[in-house]
Amino acid sequence: MAKQYRTREGSVTAVNTKTQLTTVGSETAPGPLLVPAGAKMLKALILAVACDNSVAADGAYFIRLEGPGLPEGPETMTVGASGVPVATGGVSTPAAFRIEIDIPVTPSNEILIFAENGGEDTGTTTIGVTLEFQM
Amino acid sequence: MSRTITVHGDVNSVDTLVRLTTQGSVTAPSLVVPSGMRKIAKIIAVGATDALADDGAAVFILRLGGPAVLGGEQVIVFGAVGTQTVQTGSDAAPSIGVPLVINDADISVSPSDVVSISAEAAGVDPGDTTVAITLVYAK
Repeated sequence: MAKQYRTREGSVTAVNTKTQLTTVGSETAPGPLLVPAGAKMLKALILAVACDNSVAADGAYFIRLEGPGLPEGPETMTVGASGVPVATGGVSTPAAFRIEIDIPVTPSNEILIFAENGGEDTGTTTIGVTLEFQM
Repeated sequence: MSRTITVHGDVNSVDTLVRLTTQGSVTAPSLVVPSGMRKIAKIIAVGATDALADDGAAVFILRLGGPAVLGGEQVIVFGAVGTQTVQTGSDAAPSIGVPLVINDADISVSPSDVVSISAEAAGVDPGDTTVAITLVYAK
């Protein structure tokens, strides 16, 4: 069966602060991320994260999936981690990755995506999340 | 049987949709889905930046749309970069993009219609970025 892909992204700028990802690049108000009609399962996540390396610190990043589109309740997933010894010259190009999962969904209901920086405050971190739905 | 199409382009500002329509020496490759092909089976996507902007923190987004893509636009994140400018006289670290490979993309398409391949950077501008996308079609 075919798949459907939905994405949200956003920037986390404070440590231990739940930040909702609500935009998609040039789409500043795409609205709620609804489980596609007919979707049976959240089959995979594709995740990408980059920190601006502006603080000599180290931290880890994770996301939370919540909302009525997830009948079994919230889920969490590690996205990545970064650290630099000095606040100048740091350049990173971390790879996006795809992880297969098997999470039931409720079609036409909303899934909310949040991201957080745990550990030390590493600066500004942008996180992108793609939900891969199996139809 | 598989068929492929590769395009690339420059994404030089955030939150700006860029249509990827070139292929190196081929300035206008056909974006028509080959006859008989019914799905995008695999996707390879990569991007890297010159890191010339300070405090950059961006992710890259692929958009697959157009009349060929059944079920509406599909939006996929495929990479990220973070950038700090270097101190005067220092060498800068390179930005080496690692391709995201999706081996079972399974996106339904209509053969002989046109697919639109676009990319964006989102977040904080890291500098100039080049991205490349390959779609592998299958029956």
